[in-house]
Amino acid sequence: MPDWSRLRAWLRGARRRADRGRRGVSDAVAGAVAAAVAAAPSTVVDRTRRTAAALGRRFPAVSLALRNLSRQRLRAGLAALGIVIGVFAVVALGMLGTALQTAATEELGGLGNQVIVSPAAESGRESLNSRDLAAIERAAAGRGTVIPLKSTGATVSGGGGRTVAQVYGTTNPRPLFGDAPGVPDYHRQGALVGADVADALDLRAGSQVTIESNTYRVVAVLPPQSSITPLRADSAVVLPPDEFATEEFSQVVVQADSGSDADAVAREVRERLNARERRVSVFSLTSVLDRITEFFALLNGFLLAVAGVSLVVAGVSIFNVMLMTVSERRGEIGVLRAVGIHRDQVLRTLLVEATLLGVAGGVVGVLLGTAGVVLVALNTELPIDAVLVAANALVALGAFAFGATVALVGGLYPAYRAAWEPPVDSLRG
Amino acid sequence: MTGPDDSATVDGADDAADPDTGSTPGSAGEPAADAQPIISGRSVVKAYVTGGETVRALRGIDFRVDPGEFVAIVGPSGSGKSTLLNMLGLLDVPTGGVVELEGVDVETFSDAERTRRRKETIGFVFQSFHLIPTLTAVENVEVPRLLDRTPARTREAATDLLERVGLGDRLGHYPDELSGGQKQRVAIARALVNDPGLLLADEPTGNLDRETGDQILAEFDAITDEGVAVVTVTHDDYVAQFADRVVNLIDGTVRDDEEAVTG
Repeated sequence: MPDWSRLRAWLRGARRRADRGRRGVSDAVAGAVAAAVAAAPSTVVDRTRRTAAALGRRFPAVSLALRNLSRQRLRAGLAALGIVIGVFAVVALGMLGTALQTAATEELGGLGNQVIVSPAAESGRESLNSRDLAAIERAAAGRGTVIPLKSTGATVSGGGGRTVAQVYGTTNPRPLFGDAPGVPDYHRQGALVGADVADALDLRAGSQVTIESNTYRVVAVLPPQSSITPLRADSAVVLPPDEFATEEFSQVVVQADSGSDADAVAREVRERLNARERRVSVFSLTSVLDRITEFFALLNGFLLAVAGVSLVVAGVSIFNVMLMTVSERRGEIGVLRAVGIHRDQVLRTLLVEATLLGVAGGVVGVLLGTAGVVLVALNTELPIDAVLVAANALVALGAFAFGATVALVGGLYPAYRAAWEPPVDSLRG
Repeated sequence: MTGPDDSATVDGADDAADPDTGSTPGSAGEPAADAQPIISGRSVVKAYVTGGETVRALRGIDFRVDPGEFVAIVGPSGSGKSTLLNMLGLLDVPTGGVVELEGVDVETFSDAERTRRRKETIGFVFQSFHLIPTLTAVENVEVPRLLDRTPARTREAATDLLERVGLGDRLGHYPDELSGGQKQRVAIARALVNDPGLLLADEPTGNLDRETGDQILAEFDAITDEGVAVVTVTHDDYVAQFADRVVNLIDGTVRDDEEAVTG
């Protein structure tokens, strides 16, 4: 049983110790003031520290997780580095894929909207008559412009030289051959000369050009073609269709308003003209373009899968790091549970820790990946516009989200195991 | 605490077997005969299965702890002391018998409910302090309320408590900058931050020298003065002498209520 006099002595001692403690406070305060006066610029540091502390009190789980991560900086850094590499790979390969696809689609230009109808080889005919043209016009009604073309190869001479060129006859050159000063809405007279022909023969608007035995005035030089076209307009000469002896057309081009219109026109032309026998061959680049797009999608998917594997590996390393962390902090987690922190809260704090690794790694990975792709674009022929498209923002966002999710999933089991262990066991171990 | 052989009724009458309880100086109200115990148990059995063998750590013991009491549980290793402390701390549930916290059978609590009760009614002090190394002294005291949405009030309470245990000048220190006694005082402050009715201490002076141990015991004494019951498990005869009441636990049964037999 207690000895009361001894107890009172203890209590007196405790009170004295408390007094000493209070003196300690005032000494410490004086010391702090002196330090503050000595180091005036530290007020900024103080303010940031106070802000950080306030934020920490507002989001205790985040602040706790950050401190726990800072205990093993190297380990946390390496785990986050895994995510950095994974997200970098996804962003770099994903963005490059999108950029290539965008650049290729741009290169192919409006080609995908063209439907080219020409006589079928097996029909034995070499041209389309006005009935065919009427059928095509009905099929294309409301979906685009129908441009009947006459064409032949011919020797062209002018200036001091001569060359062989494709000669087209159409009244409506603009949709197919491009716009330039002098290209008429309705082609009635004179010749339009492709860029390469003009170069070879040194022709300008106003020059004279002789095709076979007839001489024409050059009305305009066609702009050089940037996109791929089956008409090879650069080495062509366009004449009014009346200049041709024949009344029939060698091909009819439908410039549809959109890819799906082009598809519909192609289908309907086949139905109308090829129902009984195959009279015409219908060439639509939509299907080619679709196949190109499909190829790029496949390529992109493959690249992303390779990059995704590296992210999954990063997830495994987070899993490993979190397992180590929770086994080291077993006792601490037991204390948290013992003093009344619910296991869901313990779980959440640990998940925040894992996710922070993913978020930090993801941000760095996205930044590095974007910078890398932009550098590649600046140093190669890949146009920078093809990199800066909306789809690439989606790639970046997706990669970041994937990185964070992988980290979260990696932390799930270790956090669950730690939070659900009975506190008696964790405290004993 | 009463032994199983205590023929008195469970409620109250064991005060007679413990004359000192009523005379504790400054005790927050003498435990009235009909006062509700903070925690009590009847025929409490705890059995584990380890390696195919059933170990009976507690073999049907009765106990009660009243507000403001300082109880020391002593006994040799393996006598079931820690098991009993875990039971009192709602860290473990009995395999037989009834444990009641403030009159409610703990068996009826879900895990979430037990966690909440632990937080509200029970404070823990561990032998090895178990402070979180990345948190400062004041933050360690705040730990039980760390994830509550009342940071300002928590900070105030934690600061008050640390000042009370004489660590007002160590608020921002990390555990590795504190001495053993200071760490244990931080741990006590942490145990008190939610105003518990019961404070459980597992070998609270085990890692401390005698003088520091005295400080801790004085601290406990001050706590009991405020009506908080303190139950400590100890090997230390010295601590046992300081207690209002000593429970001797040997092989899972209570042997003697009066004389400390330490092992």
